[in-house]
Amino acid sequence: MAKTYDYLFKLLLIGDSGVGKTSILFRFSEDAFNISFISTIGIDFKIRTIDLDGKKVKLQIWDTAGQERFRTITTAYYRGSMGIMLVYDVTNEKSFENIKNWIRNIEENASADVEKMILGNKCDLDAKRMVSKERGEQLAVEYQIKFVETSAKDSLNVESAFYTLARDIKAKMEKKQEASNPPSRSGAHPIKASDMQRKPASWLSRCSIL
Amino acid sequence: MSSSSAEDIPDQCTDLFTQDGVLVKTCIGRPIADLNSHGMLCIMLNPRGNKVIEWRPNDLITIDSDTQDQEWAVVNTIGPVHSRWGACQDLHWPAHCRPKLPRDAVYHAQPRGNKVIEWRPNDLITIDSDTQDQEWAVVNTIGRRQRTLSGNLTSDYQTARARIIRIPLDELKSFRVNRTNQQVQFSTKQGVWQTTFHFLHGNAEVFVSNLKNYVKTAKVRHDRNTYIVVEPTDESQVLNKSFAELDIFTENTTDVVWNLVSNFKQRPYETTMTAFSKLTDIVYYGNEATDKRDVSEEVADLLTKSMSALDEATTVTKSEGYEVISVKPTLPPRPNIPRGTPLSTEKWEGLQDTHGRVTEVDGVKQLIFRGGVAHSIRHSVWKYLLDYHPWHMTHAEIQTLQRKRTEEYFSMKLQWRSMTEGQESRFSEYRDRKSLVEKDVNRTDRTHPFFAGDNNPNLVVLQDILMTYVMYNFDLGYVQGMSDILAPLLLLLGNEVDSFWCFVGFMDRIASNFDMDQAGMKQQLLQLQQLLTFCSPALAQHLAQKDSGNMYFCFRWLLVWFKREFSHRDIMRLWEVLWTGLPCANFHLLICVAILDAESEVIINNNFGFTEILKHVNDLSMCLDVDKILSTAEGIYHQIISAQHLTDQIRVILGMAPLNITRSTSSEEATSQVNGTEDGLGIFSPGMDEVMYQIGLDMNF
Repeated sequence: MAKTYDYLFKLLLIGDSGVGKTSILFRFSEDAFNISFISTIGIDFKIRTIDLDGKKVKLQIWDTAGQERFRTITTAYYRGSMGIMLVYDVTNEKSFENIKNWIRNIEENASADVEKMILGNKCDLDAKRMVSKERGEQLAVEYQIKFVETSAKDSLNVESAFYTLARDIKAKMEKKQEASNPPSRSGAHPIKASDMQRKPASWLSRCSIL
Repeated sequence: MSSSSAEDIPDQCTDLFTQDGVLVKTCIGRPIADLNSHGMLCIMLNPRGNKVIEWRPNDLITIDSDTQDQEWAVVNTIGPVHSRWGACQDLHWPAHCRPKLPRDAVYHAQPRGNKVIEWRPNDLITIDSDTQDQEWAVVNTIGRRQRTLSGNLTSDYQTARARIIRIPLDELKSFRVNRTNQQVQFSTKQGVWQTTFHFLHGNAEVFVSNLKNYVKTAKVRHDRNTYIVVEPTDESQVLNKSFAELDIFTENTTDVVWNLVSNFKQRPYETTMTAFSKLTDIVYYGNEATDKRDVSEEVADLLTKSMSALDEATTVTKSEGYEVISVKPTLPPRPNIPRGTPLSTEKWEGLQDTHGRVTEVDGVKQLIFRGGVAHSIRHSVWKYLLDYHPWHMTHAEIQTLQRKRTEEYFSMKLQWRSMTEGQESRFSEYRDRKSLVEKDVNRTDRTHPFFAGDNNPNLVVLQDILMTYVMYNFDLGYVQGMSDILAPLLLLLGNEVDSFWCFVGFMDRIASNFDMDQAGMKQQLLQLQQLLTFCSPALAQHLAQKDSGNMYFCFRWLLVWFKREFSHRDIMRLWEVLWTGLPCANFHLLICVAILDAESEVIINNNFGFTEILKHVNDLSMCLDVDKILSTAEGIYHQIISAQHLTDQIRVILGMAPLNITRSTSSEEATSQVNGTEDGLGIFSPGMDEVMYQIGLDMNF
């Protein structure tokens, strides 16, 4: 059977319990929001195929249980992931502080060149906000990771965050391919090396850095 | 913005579920101009506690475009309006829709209305963006407007009202989802589909599955995509529902089963079975034996077979070309063991002496294992099953015990209740647990009426019990999954103290599931793998080849004892059976084997890989038949213990003493040693006739 996509990217959502990983995934995969979400036990994934610079990219996005105790199980699913969304809750200081631990966790369990992105979720709850956008940006600068504030509830930046991560993975992958296929021989394959270098869409200029 | 605290806002509406990308395709009495409008379909809870399906057009809400920061403008202006004036809380519009939005409209739900589908025009309400203090300005503006509107509809409002589509759930008669998951139709009148919505992302099933959390439905016999909304009070419809559930289940297994069911429907009198439940048993067991062959040819054969559970034909050795079957020739045939009836009030009372002591404990457990407990006496029996009430105690002794336990509970509760803010601020471990409990309580079974809605007092009880458990067992504390374990107990028992002690009893059995290092879970997953290798070697081999030999995809099943896989009604049945500890240790692992065994063909024949296996197993949730699974698991148990090649490894998992003998191919010796030794578990080994005889005795107890 013919493949219905050009690329398959495995992505991962990690972060403390209750930061909204499942809601973000549900928003992205179904464009819906459910007020009565249940906590994730174990692991699950959802699929969405997106169109990226003319290529069909199938995103397989894994959703994990956030509680530390379950990491021995959930980290087994890190393997092979090409992009990771690190999620914290802007109304929960601790979840923000723990992003550093999650980054360490990735370093130990995921491949070194995995693309990462930090999401400050629940930015619709401004009244309860504990972590300013600036602090999120600071952290992102510190780790050289892209950052954006999201709201799964209001569908704010969720879509663009996944597109950005996917685009970065695609760029990295095609760069690698190019490196392994010397340009002299790759006449048949010069796929959009230039496209890949293109800066991500303009929303980044407002909502994120790097 | 402090207005989100709900206490002072009695008129709040809440969006329970929202889904974007939904078009109106048809709607009776609607101007053509409205059709094909983009919008959002919601399930909304109105202030009266009624639920409404509501479709809102994308151009319904406007944001003040002059504001510098659009995102925050929405929150600041609209949020308080809604919470304070009883309009819908969730006005925050998806960012990507905003540019299209016309100005100066606000969606608001009728503060006193029922659940409806409603669509409103966007020129209804204006937000005053010039005001310094936006929040209050908005409140004032809208408040006045809204009051006017609710008393005396302006023409604006009527136009507006015309655009929202609302379907109160208590008026919903039926709905239908088309096969491609792109359309859902709703009907509030028999025989007329008044409204059709088109789902741009082809994910109508997401909406339907959420809707099913809020209405009881039955499927129409000859149209698998149509659901009839069932009034829970109408008994005949409840019956319909149970039939419908069968259909739902069969639809989710193979077509083979589906065909079998329809065959049975067409000639029900050809069987000697009178009860439909019995019929389904046969369908399933017959299916076990014949699903490799052409169904239509086999129906008659199957019916004959069903008459005798131990029919030799169940070995399926005849079916050629299917390796699944040929690789498990060493297990004896699986006996078809019917489920019994639940322990009744009369029986339960009859089993207690005049002082209330339960005399025949083993007999009671046996009965419960066979058929569960009648719902009306669960609240009493569970306390015994969960070691809160000792079986041998008199009523008087139990009263004394209960008093003591109540005191004990409240003194532990006081320990955390009396913690000051200052203490808490210096006690991070306690703080972390508390916040974890809070987070989980707020997302535990919220679709169940018992836990639904904001400020539900039962959530407070749930939280209090879990927090008190933290004090009871601080080393273990709170781990995710515990709220799932507690919820059905509280739902059934209703009482805080009873629920706590029953929870303690349940946790004592499964505490190792929550080990810090997850050693308990890993051990069970390993044991499950070993059992599966013994019972379904082909499946075990397939899983190993697909990197799934660690059985991690069963993690959720084991952690919360299948809580996420069954409805509340079914999980109560499953748990009470498992609490008896019969017929062997780790019977819950055989439940896993039973479920997997039934899926083995689908998994192997489709050559499911790592991800598909996980997905398939996760998607079984709410599609499983608890009685069938219990029956299969018991059948597997008897297959295992009468297997000639039973190993010590398996014996130990099932709680039997190891034989410590060197295994030879002929295990006559071993079998004879089993008989009459340790725990009586081996007594069935020689043959299935005895198994059936024994079961007959148990059922007549």
